[in-house]
Amino acid sequence: MENKRFAIVLDSRRCIDCKACTVACKAENNVPLGTDNYRNWVDEGKLRGHYPNLGQSFTPSQCQHCGNAPCAHVCPTKATEINPDGIVHVVADKCIGCKYCQTACPYNARYYNEDIGAVDKCTFCSQRIYVGRLPACVETCPTKVRVFGDLNDPCSEVSRLLAKYPSRVLKEAQGTKPFLFYLI
Amino acid sequence: MPSFLKHRPSLPVWFVLLGIGCVIGIAGVINVLVHGHAEVYNVTREIPWGILIATYVFLVVSSTGLCLISSLGHVFGIAKFEFIGKRAIILAILTLLCGFGTIAMELNHPIRMGIYAILSPNFHSAIWWMGTLYGIYLILLCGEFYFLMKGMHKGAFAMGMLGFVAAISAHSNLGAVFGLLEARPFWHGSFLPIYFILSALVSGGAIVSMIVYFSHKDSGEEMPQKYDDFIQTIAKLQTLFLWMLVFFVVWKIIPGVYGHPPEKYEATMAMLTGPLAFNFWFFEVLLGLVVPVGLLLNPGTRNAIGVMYAGLSATIGIFFMRYDLVVAGQLVSMREDAANLVNGLLQYTPSLTEVAIVVGAISLCLLLYTLAERLLPLNPDEH
Repeated sequence: MENKRFAIVLDSRRCIDCKACTVACKAENNVPLGTDNYRNWVDEGKLRGHYPNLGQSFTPSQCQHCGNAPCAHVCPTKATEINPDGIVHVVADKCIGCKYCQTACPYNARYYNEDIGAVDKCTFCSQRIYVGRLPACVETCPTKVRVFGDLNDPCSEVSRLLAKYPSRVLKEAQGTKPFLFYLI
Repeated sequence: MPSFLKHRPSLPVWFVLLGIGCVIGIAGVINVLVHGHAEVYNVTREIPWGILIATYVFLVVSSTGLCLISSLGHVFGIAKFEFIGKRAIILAILTLLCGFGTIAMELNHPIRMGIYAILSPNFHSAIWWMGTLYGIYLILLCGEFYFLMKGMHKGAFAMGMLGFVAAISAHSNLGAVFGLLEARPFWHGSFLPIYFILSALVSGGAIVSMIVYFSHKDSGEEMPQKYDDFIQTIAKLQTLFLWMLVFFVVWKIIPGVYGHPPEKYEATMAMLTGPLAFNFWFFEVLLGLVVPVGLLLNPGTRNAIGVMYAGLSATIGIFFMRYDLVVAGQLVSMREDAANLVNGLLQYTPSLTEVAIVVGAISLCLLLYTLAERLLPLNPDEH
């Protein structure tokens, strides 16, 4: 879509590690079974403190739809494309299965999907958002960790959240310019 | 040196061994074609490049090395090196083709690669350049071999010169396939393109030492004067290359541990004390460096058979250098809280099918070379 820049803002303190986002994503996007096959995930942080004062954080994540995407730079056949709205996606017919993108991605956001015969990844559920619906992971989350929207619209919820609260991105030093923002 | 080490296997035994190796390889290829990569390979989403990529790198490094060493003769005019020209170039062609075969088994869609590398090229991609430059290099090697066989020295010189440039470009670019990945600190930087060229020289010197020994008719230590002179020269050259490689290995390790640079440190320690430690110390250091340097420096072993064993030992060591380089770069998870880590690292062990394809590729390469040796006039004065 023209004139839009899609992004997700996450409040990971709300995450209860139920993994409903991963299940919803697999169902919505026909992700094959198997431990290596997923488009989004929840990383479980190390346990903090000592009994009885304990804490643990969870970090849900997926493709960062980078503004400077290493996967697109390295793909020998331009199978990885970037839409004007920022969505990074794979054109399955062009993918040769060299997995260079998998070694280039600092977030391990890609996997090889045997069913479609190509490397696969999160597309922000483009099949849903282009008809005005929310990505499956956003819609299903019981604690509303993820908020999806258009950063080019100053009144969108993602823009308002990023204006109101400080945020961070993952591995900022890689220079990938991620579009998943974690509220601090 | 024990007498059994001084004799080559007889030709029928050699053909049987290589035949078995090729059958194992064919079984591996059939297994992956029937069941698919995911079922029979142990590569994962986190470690997508395994032993097949390492073998590809090993084979194309060998090809580059052979081309560079042979160019000393018919391109740079060092007369002593001219007599290995045909053998080195035909083996450079065969190692390159077997390398292509190995990577084709790793790619999920090698046919699509042929189509979309032309229809939809990405000039920013080091893998696109790798395919293109090695393609050009293969054509030039074939041209060079043709002119050498026909005894057309001007043509061989021109092709050899272009082939030399193509070999350096293609091979340093192969280093860049790894070196351009900012996400992988163990690989990232300008070290690997330079290191790949140097280690190609070691590979080339090692393999030339072996083919000179095995291509002459008599078994044992006595050789015609011309062979013996060449052996002495290649021994000195190879000693120099190996010391340079020691320098490169040391300066790969020290920046990897000094100050514990994040991710690079963990990958380096995986080689020094972790899951790759046996590969590193036994194969890379002992077989790859210490044994060959010892054999080449000791005047008692600096003869045809000693230099041959130095080459064999270095070649085995270099295979593991490729494997460790490819795997170590991926052992550190891109996500520090990933759930599947053992001692903080991801894990990879090649599957039987992957190993079978490696055995098949190397056996096929040796089989084709043995046939070429028997069927083609490869001696310098034969046309």
